[in-house]
Amino acid sequence: MDPKLTEVAQLFERFKAAFVRNDFDTCSNFLSQLKVKLTEFGSLPPLFQNTPNAVKELTLARDIYEHAVVLSVKIEDQDAFERDFFQLKSYYVDAHDRLPSSPQEHPILGLNLLRLLVQNRIAEFHTELELLSSAALENPCIKHAVELEQSFMEGAYNRVLSARQTVPHETYVYFMDLLAKTVRDEIAGCSEKAYDSLSIKDARQMLLFPSDRELLAYVSEDHPEWEVKNDAVYFQKAKESAPCKEIPSLQLINQTLSYARELERIV
Amino acid sequence: MTQDVEMKEVPVPSNSVSSASPSILHNLKEIASLLETAAYTREVRRIVRAVRLTMVLRRKLKVSVISAFLNFALTPGSEVHSRLLSFLPKDDEQDMDVDTATSATQVPAKHALPELEMYSYLLVLIFLIDQKKYIEAKACASASIARIKNLNRRTIDVLASRLYFYYSLSYELTGDLAEIRGNLLNLHRIATLRHDELGQETLLNLLLRNYLHYNLYDQAEKLRSKAPRFEAHSNQQFCRYLFYLGKIRTIQLEYTDAKESLLQAARKAPIAALGFRIQCNKWAIIVRLLLGEIPERTVFMQKGMEKALRPYFELTNAVRIGDLELFKNIAEKFSNVFNADRTHNLIVRLRHNVIRTGLRNISISYSRISLVDVAKKLRLDSPNPVADAESIVAKAIRDGAIDATLDHANGWMVSKETGDIYSTNEPQAAFDTRIAFCLNLHNDAVRALRFPPNSHKEKESAEKRRERQQQEQELAKHIAEEDDDEF
Repeated sequence: MDPKLTEVAQLFERFKAAFVRNDFDTCSNFLSQLKVKLTEFGSLPPLFQNTPNAVKELTLARDIYEHAVVLSVKIEDQDAFERDFFQLKSYYVDAHDRLPSSPQEHPILGLNLLRLLVQNRIAEFHTELELLSSAALENPCIKHAVELEQSFMEGAYNRVLSARQTVPHETYVYFMDLLAKTVRDEIAGCSEKAYDSLSIKDARQMLLFPSDRELLAYVSEDHPEWEVKNDAVYFQKAKESAPCKEIPSLQLINQTLSYARELERIV
Repeated sequence: MTQDVEMKEVPVPSNSVSSASPSILHNLKEIASLLETAAYTREVRRIVRAVRLTMVLRRKLKVSVISAFLNFALTPGSEVHSRLLSFLPKDDEQDMDVDTATSATQVPAKHALPELEMYSYLLVLIFLIDQKKYIEAKACASASIARIKNLNRRTIDVLASRLYFYYSLSYELTGDLAEIRGNLLNLHRIATLRHDELGQETLLNLLLRNYLHYNLYDQAEKLRSKAPRFEAHSNQQFCRYLFYLGKIRTIQLEYTDAKESLLQAARKAPIAALGFRIQCNKWAIIVRLLLGEIPERTVFMQKGMEKALRPYFELTNAVRIGDLELFKNIAEKFSNVFNADRTHNLIVRLRHNVIRTGLRNISISYSRISLVDVAKKLRLDSPNPVADAESIVAKAIRDGAIDATLDHANGWMVSKETGDIYSTNEPQAAFDTRIAFCLNLHNDAVRALRFPPNSHKEKESAEKRRERQQQEQELAKHIAEEDDDEF
């Protein structure tokens, strides 16, 4: 076996040992070393040279990046997640005919979809979705994210929140917690338009706060325009006032003049 | 996806009924002389005409005719000549010999113009694709592309762009599109360096098609937004570009822009390109549904499209009624069609619009309705329908889909009176956009007017001409200034 490959494999074993111990600092340390070593393999993207060890090297590299993605979730670093995922993606997309598919592929793709949802990057979410085959869409990990997006778009927020109980993979919990925060902001935004007022108790339930105090803190911090009195929250002030009935004269003059100019040119 | 490949201009029905090979050969020779003149006078428009004339002959091509033409156009025994002949199937040998003999005696002159060489490649390539000999077509296309890279003549550009197109088509027909992506990018770079705008246009479309074939929307958009854009040279290429642009924007949820591109593509496409127009219409229908519009019935009744658009018609109907159950049934019933059209994911997105429409109908019909009934009417099947209904209604209110308020304590929804639209500025704004559209159309038409050069030189005196040119310049300047004003 190639000495370089053995070296990387050994280092990766030590990384995995630290990973199991949940010693994330050591993990990050090993990971950056591993990434440097991976650059020496010619068979990896974007070169894809046909070296004798290509399949082994590709599989090892893919494994390393899969762990890197999971690690980034555990240390709650979304930027690192994005970086590592994009490196990993080319193993799934461009190298799929060279390698047997990885069991981690669907959970990680689902995780990425969830991340895009949490960061409210819906356009990218759908772009990623188009890359998946219909078989992949049936996978529980992917389906979970797709259904979440649908519920989110419809506005069925409690369905989004209850989905936390049915996460298909432990790493999903981190993003689901972030999603809960996004959902709360959405509910707050909808409520102020849809209701005239809500009793404190209902508002607390709806916005999923464990106590009245936290609700009041949230109101004064994020929505100072809401009014709290008589045990109820009033949204009146947040609604925009009636549209004014003034004639937009300047705009009309401009338009009419431009018509005249254009017509003059035609005639 | 594959349907829109064949977007050609309508072959002009030729009056001559006789399809005997000598007359076709004769036509081909005429085309060749047209190409020669074009090459010497550097008139690109003549080459465009030559290509168009070829398309008329396309269906009548035979091996014998082509080999005779090759003998005529290329030096027999030269490398190109023997290579091209080797691509042609070896049947009706006898017939071929006869033709070669006649043509050889007729025209002993030797031509070595690159234009003719490229034209021969094009002719053979079209013939091979029509005969479904894709492997040979691939080889022929690759050989022509290799040759084109070394030719830098503006008169070649038109022929080159056709060759690029058939190059990509032959690879698509054998399912190897991914293979040539690097090569296409390379060609695009060469075309850009040579200021070959038609080539850039064609290659950009081919690349977009290549990416979209594998659903690589991200890469396609990145390329599209960074590639140089200029005024379109070819209507067909522009239609294609609009279609791909529309698709990309649909996927990225920019529905308003997508609708504009798709409708424009459908309108600009030539009448004969039925497959292409059907594709455009399918996507446009879905985008309009996603925007909350209901396409008119006439869209589905266009000539030759009724059958292809049938599933989309039923889908529209379900969305219009706002019936979730019906929508689900139709999506399942036609799932094959939708999967083949690759619109399945978009249809999944529509569910949300069905709910919206249903909700809007409810809000119009009732001034006050309990949330329990809303959930029942929308047929929401979830463990907690009332809570779902409440948050769905709340979101619809916030997005401005319905005008209502919720009463949480009593659990009902109260609709507000709809205001009189004529008391707002909206009609005026709508009127303004229409006027602007008409005026723009007029300006564009004026700008697009093209006069054949030198046609009325003799008739007008120098003085008159100067006067006219001055007027034209003023008009052009005026229009340009107006445009500047608007931005």
